[in-house]
Amino acid sequence: MKSAKKLFLLVAVAAMAAGWFTLNESTRRYIVHLAKQVPSLPYRYFV
Amino acid sequence: MSDYDAIVVGAGLGGLTAASQLQNKGFKTLLLDHCDQVGGCCGSMQIGDYKFDTGPSVVELLFVIDEVFTNIGRKREDYIEWIDIDPIYGFVDNAGKHFSYPTSIEGTREVIAKFSEEDARAWDRFADLGANALEKAFNIVMTQPMTTLSAAARVMVKNPAMMKYMAPYMLKSFQQVLTGFFKDDSVVSSMCLQSYFIGLPPCLAPGYIAFLAYSEHDGIVYPKGGMDMIPKGICKAFEEDGGKVQLNSTVSKILTEGKKVTGVELEDGTRISSSMVITNVNAKVVYEEMLGKDRIPGWAYKGVKSYEVSIPAPMIMLGVDKKPDLECHHTFCHSSIDNMNSIWFDNFKENKLLGDKNFMLICTPSLSDDSLAPKGHHTLNLVSFSPYEPVEGDWDKGLREKYLEDILDLMKRKFGLDLTSNLKVAEVIDPKRFERRFLHPRGAVYGLQQDLCHSAMFRPGMKSRIYDGLYLTGASTHLGGGVAPTIGSGIAATDLIMKDRG
Repeated sequence: MKSAKKLFLLVAVAAMAAGWFTLNESTRRYIVHLAKQVPSLPYRYFV
Repeated sequence: MSDYDAIVVGAGLGGLTAASQLQNKGFKTLLLDHCDQVGGCCGSMQIGDYKFDTGPSVVELLFVIDEVFTNIGRKREDYIEWIDIDPIYGFVDNAGKHFSYPTSIEGTREVIAKFSEEDARAWDRFADLGANALEKAFNIVMTQPMTTLSAAARVMVKNPAMMKYMAPYMLKSFQQVLTGFFKDDSVVSSMCLQSYFIGLPPCLAPGYIAFLAYSEHDGIVYPKGGMDMIPKGICKAFEEDGGKVQLNSTVSKILTEGKKVTGVELEDGTRISSSMVITNVNAKVVYEEMLGKDRIPGWAYKGVKSYEVSIPAPMIMLGVDKKPDLECHHTFCHSSIDNMNSIWFDNFKENKLLGDKNFMLICTPSLSDDSLAPKGHHTLNLVSFSPYEPVEGDWDKGLREKYLEDILDLMKRKFGLDLTSNLKVAEVIDPKRFERRFLHPRGAVYGLQQDLCHSAMFRPGMKSRIYDGLYLTGASTHLGGGVAPTIGSGIAATDLIMKDRG
């Protein structure tokens, strides 16, 4: 069961990585720009 | 007994809207501003015989302005006269080629068809979607305080169509949405320019903002006498209702006792009491300076510090004694989409001046309203982009003058526009001047960034979660910068106050 979970995780990560490299530069920039700010969102929500 | 029922700090459009509505509803209201005129960014500057706007240069989504006057029992047309603007934009590309988009959807289609028949068909789909997005989403969020998850959810439940026109574009960039419709480089870049109206490059601006490129086709206007006629009109109504305006009064502190607001302290030490303070000042300035780190919880301070500002946009004002070679109220000096993105990453983020990469909006309001300059003369506002502290020099130590020369030279070389001959007056409002005059941190005229992570409930709340009686309006709150959004924020803040105190 554990090895099945690991395999599933590996496949998911590989699929995400493959997906990432198919994106064009502008889309990657947009995602990175938003992702960088995610840790600040809980603080911003309470301002 | 307090001196006033409400004190409004900052006579920008959001503050004026809140002040006029509160006074009209019976709250004894004082409106304070550190400048010698009302309007904030939507003000004016008189240089000799020429009158210049210092911020926005046109108005759209007119229903928001009408709503303020309706809310205070008046008619907008008794206070502000509109001049229709058509064509909405002119364009000049690097080869000196001119074209323009008229207000009419069909007319714009014909212009686009000259570049690409496929894009002309895409324009039909884009305009149809834009009209629906405007009616079923933007017009609704404009005056709604989306400051909490539950408030945003309530608005969406009441308006289910909103999700259809916003959700699919939230996780896409402005550039992705537009390039999904249009393929021709000239058409794409003519539409992408608008992302900088929210101070972000096309690849970082949120996709739903792309419909800005449609919204002007609903009609844009210019107030007769200059953009400051809008704040002056609202202020006139406020004073007619008995409201008090105190200019040249800088608020240094918001006074508090426990978790309640008790008034404000001016720079000269004068204290004015009220249990309600509404600020129209940038939220970063409110929390970091007027309240200060010691009076806000650590988590909130961390949130305030995390807000990022948009790119500064120096404004060059020129008065000339002949008609410039321009036909439209607004002319964009074109740039490629790659260049528009590059100036953000390679110049703004690296604190380097844009040099030959600069592109700009030229506003020639005197073409629409001849009262702004002597007969036969014209006024021009050139809005370009630059970092706040360029490595090339200090704005206060000679860079301002050099910037003016460089931009005028660029206009001549790159866009074939010689604006230097017949020049009578010239002035530059650089990022440092913007910061001093309008209290926008780092001279960011578009205020806080307006990406997805700086929107709705992630933007500073209109009702403070820290102090009872503290409310915020203006460009740093929901929905962001622009004439209609800032007025909308004043309407939404007043609604919140009326729920609390009405």
